[in-house]
Amino acid sequence: MKKLSKVVFHVGRVFILFTLVTGHASATSTADHTKFKELQVLFESGPEVTSACIKCHTEAAQQIHKTKHWTWEFLNPDNKQRVGKKNIVNNFCITPKSNFEHCTACHIGYGWRDNNFDFTSEENVDCLVCHDTTGAYLKSGDNAGHPKESVDLSYVAQNVGKTSRDTCGVCHFFGGGGNGVKHGDMDDSLAVPDRELDVHMDAVGADFTCSTCHMSIDHDVAGSRYAPEAKHTDDYHVHRRASDEENNAHCRACHGNKPHKKEDKSRLNHHALKIACQTCHISRMARGGVATRMTWDWSTAGKLDESGKPEQIMIDGNLVYDGRRGNITYGEDIEPEYIWFNGTVRYQLLNEKVVLNEDGYVHVNDFEGSPDDGKSRIWPVKVFRGVQPYDPEMNRLVVPHTTGSDEASYWKHFDWVKAVQAGMDSAGLPFSGTVDFIKTQMSWPINHMVAPAKDAVACDECHSKNGRLKDIDGIYIPGRDASEKLNFYGWLIALLTLVGVVLHGFGRIFSHFWRRRT
Amino acid sequence: MKHNISFFTVFIIALLGFSSLAEAKGNWKKGRIYYRMVCTECHIEQAGGAISPAEKTKAEWRDYFERNLHGPQDASAKYAASYFVSREYRESIKDTNRAAKKMLKIPEDKLLEDVKAFVDHTAKDSDQPSRCE
Repeated sequence: MKKLSKVVFHVGRVFILFTLVTGHASATSTADHTKFKELQVLFESGPEVTSACIKCHTEAAQQIHKTKHWTWEFLNPDNKQRVGKKNIVNNFCITPKSNFEHCTACHIGYGWRDNNFDFTSEENVDCLVCHDTTGAYLKSGDNAGHPKESVDLSYVAQNVGKTSRDTCGVCHFFGGGGNGVKHGDMDDSLAVPDRELDVHMDAVGADFTCSTCHMSIDHDVAGSRYAPEAKHTDDYHVHRRASDEENNAHCRACHGNKPHKKEDKSRLNHHALKIACQTCHISRMARGGVATRMTWDWSTAGKLDESGKPEQIMIDGNLVYDGRRGNITYGEDIEPEYIWFNGTVRYQLLNEKVVLNEDGYVHVNDFEGSPDDGKSRIWPVKVFRGVQPYDPEMNRLVVPHTTGSDEASYWKHFDWVKAVQAGMDSAGLPFSGTVDFIKTQMSWPINHMVAPAKDAVACDECHSKNGRLKDIDGIYIPGRDASEKLNFYGWLIALLTLVGVVLHGFGRIFSHFWRRRT
Repeated sequence: MKHNISFFTVFIIALLGFSSLAEAKGNWKKGRIYYRMVCTECHIEQAGGAISPAEKTKAEWRDYFERNLHGPQDASAKYAASYFVSREYRESIKDTNRAAKKMLKIPEDKLLEDVKAFVDHTAKDSDQPSRCE
C-alpha cells in the first residue's frame, strides 16, 4: 500500500511538472491581441502602449511598482541592508548612479534619466520588454529605457504573450554590458540550449523558460540573489500559491530533499545535507561557447589611439583592452570556486569605509557561511576580481560618471576626477577630490547550465588531495583529509597485527613440529 | 473629409495587418532552434566552424536562398540549401540529432521559412546582429 501511494505520488509529480513544462508551449491564449481596437493604432511611444495595456490589465502596473524590477531596491530582512541595483556598487560597470540614462535600458520602465524619475507613474511601466514574443522590441541604449525608434510598437503590442528565455535574457544574459559578461552561468547560449548545456532548458527537451522556476506572484519574480536560500527546508513545492510561501526557484522545489532515487546513488542524498545541488551538477561555468569576464582593471583605462579614439584590442572575439574600460580577461568552460554559503549576502555600500581583506581584496559582496552554523552548504560561485576607482582619503568606493557625452563623462573625456566628482554629486555623497584604484572582488552564485547526470562532478574530483574542495575547511572529506597521527597509529596497529599474525603462524608451525618430535 | 479619415484608418489597419502577416511568415524562434542545433552542429563537425547569421546581410541571405546552393557548388539536388531542411535529410540524421528528430514532422517549406525568418532577424544589417550562432 505504501509502495502504491509512493508510485501515485511520483506519477502525480511528473504529471504536474509535465503540465508546467509543456503548458507554455502548447497552450493558446484566450485573447488574440491583434483583435483589440485599442492596439490597432499607431503608437508613438512606449508609455502610449502601456496606457492601452492598463485599460484592461488594471492592476498590472501597480503590481510592477512593488517589485525589484521596478524599484531596483531591496531591503534585506536578515541584515537590514538597503541593497538593489540602485544602491549597490559592483566591479563591472560599477553603478547605474549618475549613468541612469544609459543603464536603464535594462529597467522595466520608461524615462528614468535622473533622480527625478516618477516611480508612481503607471504609464512609465514597460510591459513590452517582458511580454514581447516577436523579438522585434528593442530598447535604445542611451534613452532611459525607451524603445528604439525603428520598433513597430503596434506590431509588438498586438503580439504580446508570456515571458520567455529571450525576454528575460535581453537583460539578464547581457548583465555587465555584454553577452555573458557578469554571471558565468547565463549568456545568450541559453536562448536555445541543448541538453548538454542545460537539462531543464533544453530547447528540444523540457524547454523550461525562466519562469518555470522563477515563478511570480503579482508580477513579483521569485529567486532574488540579494537574499537567496542556500539551504532549503521545505520538500516538494512547485506551486507558489501565496507570497509568503518559500520561493520555488531552487532545485528542491521539484526534486525534493532526497533527490537521488536509484538505490546505488542514495548515498548521495547524505551529500545534499552539506553540498548544494549546483556544486555537483554544474561542473563548469560558461559552457555555451560564450566567454565570461573574470577580471577587469579600470586603472589602465584611458589609452587613446592616434586619432584620439579609445584604443581597443580584441583577441578571439573578446575585448581584452578598451581605452574606456581598461584591461579585461575572460574564462570559458571553467571550474567555479567553492565556498560555505548560508544565504546571507553582505554588500560594501557607498557610505561605508572599505576594508581590505586578508586576501588583498575589498569584498564588494561577501557570501556569509560556515561549516558550523547549521544553515550553510558548499556552493559554487564565480569570483570576479577587479581594480576599480576609490577615494583614498575618504576610504570609500566611488561613483564614476562614465556614460553620456557631457563634460564629466569619463568615456568622453577620460578625466577620473571630473567623472567621480559628477558621480558623487549625483549620488549626494562626499568626495575628497582624489582618485586612486583598489583591488576588489565580487561573488556570483552559479545556478544555471545544469549538466546531465553523466557530466556531474565525479567522486574523485573532490575526494582527492588537490580536488575541487581543497580549500573548503571545517568538513572531513575522505580521500582529501588525513590526520598524520591517526595515520601513524592506524598503520602501527596494522603492522603490529601483521607481526602478531606472522608470529602466531610461526608459533603454530613450531608447536606442530615440536609435538610431532615429542 | 470624413471619407478621407475612414480611408486613412482602413489603410493604416491594412498596413498593420500586412506588416504583421509579413513578419509572421516564418517563425524565427523555430528557425533558430533548427539553425543552431542542426545547421551549426553539422558545420562545426564537418565544415570547420559555425556560420553566424550576422556574417551576411539580409539581402545576401535572400540571395543565398534564392540561388538555393549549399556547400560544394556542384548544383546537384543533394547540395541545394533546401535539401538540408528536407524531411529526407532530417530522417537521415534523426538518430544522431535530437533537434532533427523533434522537428521531423514540420513540412519542408514551413521549416525553410522559419530558418529564413531567423537569419533575416539576426543578419548583419538587422537591429540585433547575432553574436554566437
